[in-house]
Amino acid sequence: MSATAQEPLNVQLKQQALALARAGLREDALQSVRRDALALLEHTEFPDKRTEQWKYTSLQALTAGHLTRVARGNGASLPAPLATHRLVLINGHYQPALSQLPDSITLTRFDGSRALAAETASDTLRTPFAWLNNATLTDGLQLDIADNTVVDAPVEVLLLATDDAPSHCQTRLRVQLGHHSRATVIERYAATGPVLTNAVTELVAGAGSQLTHYRLQAESPESLHIGTLIIAPGRDSNVHSCQLMQGNVLRRNDVRAIMAESGASLALNGIFVGRGNSHIDNQITVEHRVPHCHSEQLFKGMAGDTAKLVFNGRIHIFEGAKGTNAELSNKNLLLTPGAEVDTKPELEIYNDDVKCSHGTTCGQLDAQSLFYLRSRGIDAAEAKRMLGFGFVNELLGALPDQAVAEWARPWLEQALTEAEPAK
Amino acid sequence: MSSQAELDKLIRSDYEAGFVSAIESDTLPPGLNEDVVRFISQKKGEPEWLLEWRLEAYRKWQAMRLPAWAHIKHPPLDFNEVSYYSAPKSMADGPKSLDEVDPELLRTYEKLGIPLHEQEMLAGVAVDAVFDSVSVGTTFRAKLLEAGVIFCPISEAVHEYPELVKKYLGSVVPQGDNFYAALNSAVFSDGSFVYIPKGVRCPMELSTYFRINEAKTGQFERTLIVADEGSYVSYLEGCTAPVRDENQLHAAVVELVALPGAQIKYSTVQNWYPGDAEGKGGIYNFVTKRGVCHDNAKISWTQVETGSAITWKYPSVVLRGDNAVGEFYSVALTRNKQQADTGTKMIHLGKNTRSTIISKGISAGGSSNAYRGLVRISPRAENARNFTQCDSLLLGDQCGAHTFPYIESRNPSAMVEHEATTSKVSDDQLFLCRSRGIDPEKAVSMIVNGFCKEVFKELPMEFAVEAGKLLEVSLEGAVG
Repeated sequence: MSATAQEPLNVQLKQQALALARAGLREDALQSVRRDALALLEHTEFPDKRTEQWKYTSLQALTAGHLTRVARGNGASLPAPLATHRLVLINGHYQPALSQLPDSITLTRFDGSRALAAETASDTLRTPFAWLNNATLTDGLQLDIADNTVVDAPVEVLLLATDDAPSHCQTRLRVQLGHHSRATVIERYAATGPVLTNAVTELVAGAGSQLTHYRLQAESPESLHIGTLIIAPGRDSNVHSCQLMQGNVLRRNDVRAIMAESGASLALNGIFVGRGNSHIDNQITVEHRVPHCHSEQLFKGMAGDTAKLVFNGRIHIFEGAKGTNAELSNKNLLLTPGAEVDTKPELEIYNDDVKCSHGTTCGQLDAQSLFYLRSRGIDAAEAKRMLGFGFVNELLGALPDQAVAEWARPWLEQALTEAEPAK
Repeated sequence: MSSQAELDKLIRSDYEAGFVSAIESDTLPPGLNEDVVRFISQKKGEPEWLLEWRLEAYRKWQAMRLPAWAHIKHPPLDFNEVSYYSAPKSMADGPKSLDEVDPELLRTYEKLGIPLHEQEMLAGVAVDAVFDSVSVGTTFRAKLLEAGVIFCPISEAVHEYPELVKKYLGSVVPQGDNFYAALNSAVFSDGSFVYIPKGVRCPMELSTYFRINEAKTGQFERTLIVADEGSYVSYLEGCTAPVRDENQLHAAVVELVALPGAQIKYSTVQNWYPGDAEGKGGIYNFVTKRGVCHDNAKISWTQVETGSAITWKYPSVVLRGDNAVGEFYSVALTRNKQQADTGTKMIHLGKNTRSTIISKGISAGGSSNAYRGLVRISPRAENARNFTQCDSLLLGDQCGAHTFPYIESRNPSAMVEHEATTSKVSDDQLFLCRSRGIDPEKAVSMIVNGFCKEVFKELPMEFAVEAGKLLEVSLEGAVG
């Protein structure tokens, strides 16, 4: 084993991932999914600094051996629910006793008892970490909402990761919304301890449906999160997804929206706040494959202390995707001298009948506004928080769900306080 | 171990001593090795230090891999198929009169409004009687020397001003900077050297145009411009008419040094042969251009790129001193099967540094046009400011327009803004023009000209006129 330690980190990670994937092989209804993923893992290198998509993000934190130990839990208590209907997964495993499901939703577990027609093929996932998730797929949830159904109350899916030692858990969630249906799903991650959550989430919205999705990522500072989110809006559907995230040791989000059915509309928003020495890396790709789709993205980042924010937003318009309307805006604030923001909005366009734009800014809090607040007797820290709120208010104010909005305000308050450098 | 490898190499190179006769001739057989580098250096009578410098570059180049990150596609390049030294073509080889020149080429010249004797020169006709480029060159040189400005081929500067060349060569683009820069450093044929003394405002716009015959000899030219404290120079580069060039690979390096308070304005109109409609032939243009700005200095790049099958070019500014200013204005037009991956890098190191980037990309036919840029704000670049705008215009549904702006900010007092839009020529604008009796081709050309105006106004006047016309010619047949 000592020879292994000499290997570069990406080689070590690959070996660890392969060991996990091989150990996870078993004969059941999901075996082909696992085998396909394993084959992909075998033929792919894990990223290092030279990998373009990982240019600004180091996996150095994983030298602690997160992938060599499965998270077992440490008896942490559950946070208070945000919705009446809540499904709980602890370290990736579904907890029926703690969950409550509305009648309008059918639940299926990815436990291998039956093949699900809908498992996403590994090639949609694209990253080695997501393949690892597929290769070790033994639990997780699929929520099916029938056609022409309205789910009134939001459904919260709580994904809790706990352990006292560096370890990992694989979480899997798939939401399948029938045609002309409506639902709100709150995907909420929580963690205690140095656990790596390797998450894959898929949202599939049927024709004419309306899906509101929240992704709340307020995990503990010492935890890690590598997540993949796939969004597939159906014909004339309307998907709204909002992500709120706070920095931890490593946070990497790969989001891929595939606009493959005409008339679909997607709003993708996010607020991310870096604290301490944390790291947040957002890689967003929106693919316009067919004509007449609309996508809009607004991401706002704030980096405090010595945090590092990375944002890569790519809009890809395929040949023939006429009448596409796509926008992306990424605005960042550097709150402290040690912080860093690396952003790259990309456009890749192969069609002339499109309207596309992207914009990004990177700046600081306005000194005059700060002065104004201070002249009114508000102390510097409070004034900064107020201006921070002002910066993201257009997103906070637009949150359609009351419970989430109520959760978000104190969360942001705390995130901004934590973003201040320790005195 | 390494000395053993060196030894092996020497043994092998001795074994392959097939160059004895080649040294006598003026053109080297294709291929690149240390002997070729030595041959080029010897042919130019270079001092020992420069040969060592070239060899160091060659060794670095050998260890490098061809960069694959750009948004371009081309068949693998074989660097051993290129001949790295070829003496200037003698006038005797060229056409004897304009009657022998491709009439299509002449029509293009006419459209661009190039005077007859210049047409002859551009087409490579021996025209010493009418237009003596040598004497014209010398007239200007005398006038420049009066002001203390040095403007000469870099091969000459090596002998006449060795301290200056030694001090600044490679100071901005080191030998091992990137694959193509390393290759250029090893085998550069010639190029221009400019030195503007302290406080001097260069009395005229300098241009490689005056030395077009010399410039044409090399695929690997190297330009070095040093503006001493408080001086000013405007430098124009490129050809204003299509040059039919058989050369496939063009890897140039341009280095600018703006010492405290100096200003350098560098304008390029690039119109190398872009290949035919099917994408056959054409120049692969891999160019490294970079400038260093000291305190209060300013470097401004303006480029109009309409030629080359592949353009890979990122004129950059390192804003090293406080209050330094960097500018980049670019128009890149691609059509048929042309591919462009071009942009800039603005590296903010000093306090209160400012940079502006305006990039206009126009893609037509089946071409691909990408803007790739980097704005980096270092932790000590207090109050740095950047504004970037990239607009793309698409003509046709087979082309591609891409934007890859990298922004890295590490100082909270810095402000960085980036905006990009992509659209086609607006139907409303077209309709307005057509309702006024303007034919569609002319209308598109007008609209495109308007789209590029922000950049054209940065060009020196004559250049701006020609650039506008060039765009018009290039757009011919791209519409409708």
